[in-house]
Amino acid sequence: MFEAAFLGLAKVFQLGNFFCLVIGVIFGIVIGALPGLTATMGLALLIPFTFTMTPAMGLIMLGGIYVGAMYGDAIPAVLINTPGTPAAIATTFDGFPLAQKGMAQHGLVAAALASAYGSLLANIVLATSAPPLAEASLKFGPPEYFWLGIFGLTIIATLAVGSLVKGLLAGALGLLLSTIGIAPIGGDIRLTFGYTELQGGVELIVALIGFFCLPEILSSFIAKRQATYSAEKIIPRFSVVREVIISLLKMPVLMLRSSAIGTIIGIAPGAGGNIASLVSYNEAVRWDKNPKEFGKGTIKGVAASEAANSAMAPGSYGMRPGHELFSTHATTTFAFIMSMLLAAGLVTVIGSFGSFLYPRILNIPARHLAPGIIFMTILGSYSIRNNILDVWIMFLFGVIGFISNKLKFHPAPIVLGLILGPYVEEGLVQSVLCGRAGGSILAYMFLRPISLVLIALCILSALWPLYASWRSKGKIGEKIL
Amino acid sequence: MLNADLIIGIVSLVIAVTAWVPTRGLTLLGGVFVDYTLIVLASLSVVIVIKGIAKPEKLRFFESVVERNNILIGLAMLLVYLVFMPKVGFLPASYLMYAAFNWYLSEDRMKTKNIIISVLVSLVVVTGFYLVFRNVLGVPLPKGSWFD
Repeated sequence: MFEAAFLGLAKVFQLGNFFCLVIGVIFGIVIGALPGLTATMGLALLIPFTFTMTPAMGLIMLGGIYVGAMYGDAIPAVLINTPGTPAAIATTFDGFPLAQKGMAQHGLVAAALASAYGSLLANIVLATSAPPLAEASLKFGPPEYFWLGIFGLTIIATLAVGSLVKGLLAGALGLLLSTIGIAPIGGDIRLTFGYTELQGGVELIVALIGFFCLPEILSSFIAKRQATYSAEKIIPRFSVVREVIISLLKMPVLMLRSSAIGTIIGIAPGAGGNIASLVSYNEAVRWDKNPKEFGKGTIKGVAASEAANSAMAPGSYGMRPGHELFSTHATTTFAFIMSMLLAAGLVTVIGSFGSFLYPRILNIPARHLAPGIIFMTILGSYSIRNNILDVWIMFLFGVIGFISNKLKFHPAPIVLGLILGPYVEEGLVQSVLCGRAGGSILAYMFLRPISLVLIALCILSALWPLYASWRSKGKIGEKIL
Repeated sequence: MLNADLIIGIVSLVIAVTAWVPTRGLTLLGGVFVDYTLIVLASLSVVIVIKGIAKPEKLRFFESVVERNNILIGLAMLLVYLVFMPKVGFLPASYLMYAAFNWYLSEDRMKTKNIIISVLVSLVVVTGFYLVFRNVLGVPLPKGSWFD
């Protein structure tokens, strides 16, 4: 195995392959940073170009794009409260408050380093133990997806600002939104109100742009009509990179936990980086000594989210290793894995240097910046399905997001419900069908080993806010209502 | 001053009822999750309404008349853009939207120099993005039904 790994590494360092890796990472960062264009779309765009390449060169380039995009999505998340891809949703929770405090560079450097760390760790795990991990992933069935979704929903306790009931209500609204379109099982057409375009459901990225970006443009640019976005001119400093590195070194447990969460969730087929980043963020808040720092601008929140969403990327390739993958094609396979390891290193370098450039975007006069962002939100919403209805939905969600922010009804749990709804629904309905066929729905849903672990986690997670209130000697009712 | 909880609760209840009516004819597999979600949504809405009545939380929506006017004007501009884009086409509508926002957010709006800058920046930025999205990314942007 080590020989194949070494040969794979040597292959990546061949001039043409390395050039493709650099191009892939840069292209991935750009794609990830553009709201509306996801890493998967970037891969789809470049796949035709790889047809003329050798298998190793093509895979190296695609690996670079994916790793680059997993970092690139943090740039708009930190700067303008808009996740470049759904995987960066949790990055906005602390990244954007950092930018509002004039510390955008801190957020961007933390995102780059945490992304690289998560990717590095996950690739090492993948390179050393891919076969058993792939086998474990096959044990993930409908009940496990259902419980993973329910576990994800317990994150509402963290995301709910002020009132848990309002957070749950927002989550329920998100779940309802997720049911729009054709039912995943059964094929019923639901809540489309005659719009055939809605049969595909509400696009997640459209909801993200609407709920996160447009309200920010309305409240920061248009409501105030100030000359620049931030009151003080942002001047990036070299010392910030050192400061962030030292800070991240002081949180090894958070980094390791976040990367592990990303790796585990990445192995589950179909589970996305958005779930990985949300679960990781939630655990970072839960286990931190000062949980109240989160949501107000701390690099811990950015690191937790970015390490997890980058760590899930290697597993998400769905490499199902048959004997040939690590025997006949071992060099190519390892070249791919090594390319992602090196891409992680490139993200560190490009991200650290880029942190001197990206925050300066906020120094652009508001009259140029605001229309540019509005224009991008519209292009981003439209280009997903080439559908003007998506732009209208984005606009509607933007207005709702603005109003709900004003009413202290934060839309983050709505988006969480929208993300997790399909997992919960498919898991529930498939479990009912499989359980009925097997003789007992309850046994099928509750007695499988991974389900039992997830059920225990759900109970612990749901009860945690009560424990946290008791620990801080606060009144439990205040947070709940 | 607005009673935020009451508004949120009532609006959520209305949404629940609006979704309840057209989902009654669904099959068991297609409707089971919708039904559970609606029950939870309606129950939580009622709790919030009761809280809004028992312990109202009053909020000021806009901090000033200027803020309100700015928001309404901004939303109206966006609305006009979205209505006219499919009719006049992406490029002309976007030139107008970009230039209008650029001009609206500039400090000395009546200066000829600022108007010229708004138009020129609009031409450069919109054309640049149009070319990238249409020619590089292959996104077919609306041509405009009036010109079909």
